[in-house]
Amino acid sequence: MDFPFVKQAISQLFSKPSCDMYPFVPSEAAPNYRGRIAYDPDKCIGCGMCVRVCAGKAITLKREPVDGGENITLTFDLGSCTFCNTCADFCNDHAITLTSDYHMIATKEEDLIVTGTHFKEKKKPAPKPAAAKPAVPVKTTPEAQSAEKAPAAQTAAPAEKSTEATPASEAVPAAPVVQPRDDGKPVNDPAKCIYCTICAKKCPQEAIIVDRKAKTWELNADDCVCCGTCQSVCPKDAIVM
Amino acid sequence: MFKKTIIESTGKSPWLFHINAGSCNGCDIEIVSVLTPRYDAERVGFKLVGSPRHADIAVVSGPVTKQSLPRVLRTLEQIPEPRCIVTCGSCPQSGNVFRDSYSVCGPLGKYVHVDVDIAGCSPKPEAIMDGLLLAAQILAEKKKTGNQEATLPNPYAPVKAAEDEKSEEKGDE
Repeated sequence: MDFPFVKQAISQLFSKPSCDMYPFVPSEAAPNYRGRIAYDPDKCIGCGMCVRVCAGKAITLKREPVDGGENITLTFDLGSCTFCNTCADFCNDHAITLTSDYHMIATKEEDLIVTGTHFKEKKKPAPKPAAAKPAVPVKTTPEAQSAEKAPAAQTAAPAEKSTEATPASEAVPAAPVVQPRDDGKPVNDPAKCIYCTICAKKCPQEAIIVDRKAKTWELNADDCVCCGTCQSVCPKDAIVM
Repeated sequence: MFKKTIIESTGKSPWLFHINAGSCNGCDIEIVSVLTPRYDAERVGFKLVGSPRHADIAVVSGPVTKQSLPRVLRTLEQIPEPRCIVTCGSCPQSGNVFRDSYSVCGPLGKYVHVDVDIAGCSPKPEAIMDGLLLAAQILAEKKKTGNQEATLPNPYAPVKAAEDEKSEEKGDE
């Protein structure tokens, strides 16, 4: 009699099991696994971009006015999260990260809530002259300021450029035509701007108003949180920060 | 005579029934993978059964669509008490990306008492295992106390800041 399987059966009997002994042996998630959200309120500027891009409406942003500023609370409901990483991708300040913690079990709703609050000081609009910043020495500041104040005038833009061209070419040819503001908020360069309104559409605070017909670009400086989204989306690099 | 033995052994061999309430199939595949030889939930006593009348734990996946709602509720009613209802994935808890859709009636918590939520889209098989083990413990607790709303402390709940500090101190020692 021939039993070809006996050897196999006996060796299998004494071999280790092929399964992961998970609850008894801890298991690590694969690299780049997107698990529980970690939120760093200190890095957050409260622009609200994550709320806007979240497909599952898992993120809520709450603003509470307090003395000298406001408390910004961001709440992530992991029970509504798709773990798509879009909020982390869109976060300019890297305040959101998806960790490799996959143990997201809840018996109560609070177990799946990640939240954080940070205090944001209300900045007074600083009416400092742009000349205080000696970034580009050749720049004629009054003109740059006038460009800031009235960026609308497309007719004025070429004229300004022509006057600008002579001193700018002497120093740095790639120097921006407009100077950045001291408070870090965006400034539009009317010479480069094509009034495509992408910055206005992408602004999470809706602080930019662009009129295509009138060729105007206006910034509501009080609403702006300096997230830099308008600068990064501008197809013509017309926004200086 | 065997009552004590039965109560004690309930948590060791719960039978699962899986309900798809309009799921995209992602969670269903992960539930199946929990039962494959790799993760092998049967080694800790779980068994997938074909009828809700045999089951102890119901695993619901999907955002509970309008079409599936009456069937889901009817199926859940057929599970004899004590029973545990586990939601798998983000959909049954909130609707996830299907939230506010005209054909979605979720979350499931509006209609029945949900014992354990497993978050993730879809959850890792290990996470499902965690949830099922917790559900099995809750099931044993229900059997013991006779309280259908019985629950247990969640070992995977986020650690509070104060406890964090404590654990750090312990680590230093």
